[in-house]
Amino acid sequence: MFAFILRRLAVAVPTLLLLIVLSFLLMHLAPGGPFTQERALPPQVLANLNAKYGLDDPLWRQIWNYVYGIVVHFDFGPSFVYPDRTVNQLIADGFPVTLTYGTLAFLAAVLVGVTLGTLAAIRQNGWLDYLAVGISIGAQVLPNFVMAPLLVLVLTLWLGWLPGGGWSFSDPSFWIMPVIALSTSYMASIARITRSSMLEVLGSNHIRTARAKGMPERRVILRHALRPAMLPVVSYLGPVFVSMITGSVVIDIYFSTGGIGKAFVDSALNRDYAVMMGVTILVGALTILFNLVVDILYAWIDPKIRY
Amino acid sequence: MVIEHDKMRSLAARMTQPEVRGRSPWADARRRFLRNKAAMTGLVILLLVALFAIFGGQIAVWSNEELDFSVMGQVATMGQPSLENGHYFGTDDLGRDLFARTVQGTQISLLVGIVGAGIAVIVGTLYGAVAGYVGGRTDQIMMRTVDILMSIPYMFVLILLLVMFGRSMTMLFLGIGLISWLDMARIVRGQTLSLKNREFIEAARATGVSTWRIIIRHIVPNLLGVVAVYATLLVPLMILTESFISFLGLGVQEPLTSWGALISEGAGTMSYGTLWQLAFPLFFFVITLFGFFFVGDGLRDALDPKDR
Repeated sequence: MFAFILRRLAVAVPTLLLLIVLSFLLMHLAPGGPFTQERALPPQVLANLNAKYGLDDPLWRQIWNYVYGIVVHFDFGPSFVYPDRTVNQLIADGFPVTLTYGTLAFLAAVLVGVTLGTLAAIRQNGWLDYLAVGISIGAQVLPNFVMAPLLVLVLTLWLGWLPGGGWSFSDPSFWIMPVIALSTSYMASIARITRSSMLEVLGSNHIRTARAKGMPERRVILRHALRPAMLPVVSYLGPVFVSMITGSVVIDIYFSTGGIGKAFVDSALNRDYAVMMGVTILVGALTILFNLVVDILYAWIDPKIRY
Repeated sequence: MVIEHDKMRSLAARMTQPEVRGRSPWADARRRFLRNKAAMTGLVILLLVALFAIFGGQIAVWSNEELDFSVMGQVATMGQPSLENGHYFGTDDLGRDLFARTVQGTQISLLVGIVGAGIAVIVGTLYGAVAGYVGGRTDQIMMRTVDILMSIPYMFVLILLLVMFGRSMTMLFLGIGLISWLDMARIVRGQTLSLKNREFIEAARATGVSTWRIIIRHIVPNLLGVVAVYATLLVPLMILTESFISFLGLGVQEPLTSWGALISEGAGTMSYGTLWQLAFPLFFFVITLFGFFFVGDGLRDALDPKDR
């Protein structure tokens, strides 16, 4: 197991370095520097600015400094637009918020999705099954940026139950809509995947054996069917994680929750490359880390995998 | 005459009869698809949406850029959908005709979806077929590259690209096309691996057909079924991607518009009571996605012999 984790890390680390170098080169290639403004700066000022941010060094040295700063000091450098703030500060402001509702949304999607899918498979062709299938088909076309306005329309404008935006760590009523908007479509996909893999497992020989020896149905499902049925779901968790992080950008903008998505879009509109790169690299690192966890989980669940 | 006259005649009759035709796999697939109600409904919806995109401009009374000064400033009370003043879908909050804007948004969203999926089909098929057929170290390197590219949060990179090289339709196509082919390449490679040891490929190799020609003439045509299915399912994903970016205001720019941009506008103004601004673009967005998903599922059921 340990060797397996090491081998996966050996792939993950170069991927991350590649991501950092690529995004740096992209920034370097982009027309116009970070200080290009409508009114051109005097050449001397521009030269001083470039010197301050180290942009007059040779390219390889700039890359080296950037990578070194991130890897050794976890320092993404200063923001180019707000000179008094560093990228680290901007990320540190938003990250706890994103992490809170992101984790809740992820758990909601997995727990509700798996439960719904399992129930649908057990009661195949019953009303619960049709309901679950209906929901999962409908939710396919309701991505987060469609769910968010619809939720606000119903829960805030018509019913007046929930605040239409903003964030507070102490008041869960601010959390509800972001979590629902972010999790719905993934919940539906997870329910669909669980249902079909559960149906397949329930028709297999070892389940028939378990039933034949008189094991209670509940135990058959929970102990013998659920674990193998989870394999396709686990391999879907990686993509879900990536899409949820991406979706959090919409949540942050639409609900003004103030997560890292806001820092990202603001910097995109301001052409603040340093912040954009910082967020991209952070998200990339999280993705790679998460995929590693999923791989290990997969190997743990599936006894057929040899590592 | 040794042979009986009647027998002779019956034999002759049989020879002139039209032969019972065998059903090709494609005919089988077509029959299965035509019987699938959801898929046919989806196809009809898509045709209607396409007609709307193509001929909607002729029906529209207003152009998508004109401001209707008679409703400007009082959109919530005067701008609602009405047949009398020609704003079939109402107006947006600047007094522009929402019907014309929706037609334009539909055109652009469909275009992005189809071009994005088209790039994915061409690049992904060739890449996957080459990797699968050539195999060995080439395959290793090519698929490792795909793995690495897939683990990058592409939406962020796409936005990074759009911001750095300017927001334009070309850049949007390029950016979406750049990432859309990865899944396709994987699927095609898997199919190619199962094809490459079949007899007809071996025969082609034995007669000295070049590698490139085998891939183009013998491998790719046999992949068409799988590719068609995934291309149909890719179109809605491309539309979703574009809408997502446009919703954030980072996609297509005014005066161009797309479903994502229109939904974003509608969502921003719905608290003033102008619900139609959200409802109409959302309606077209939702039914089109449904249409593509249904047709894609139907095609998969029809063409994929595994799930029969």
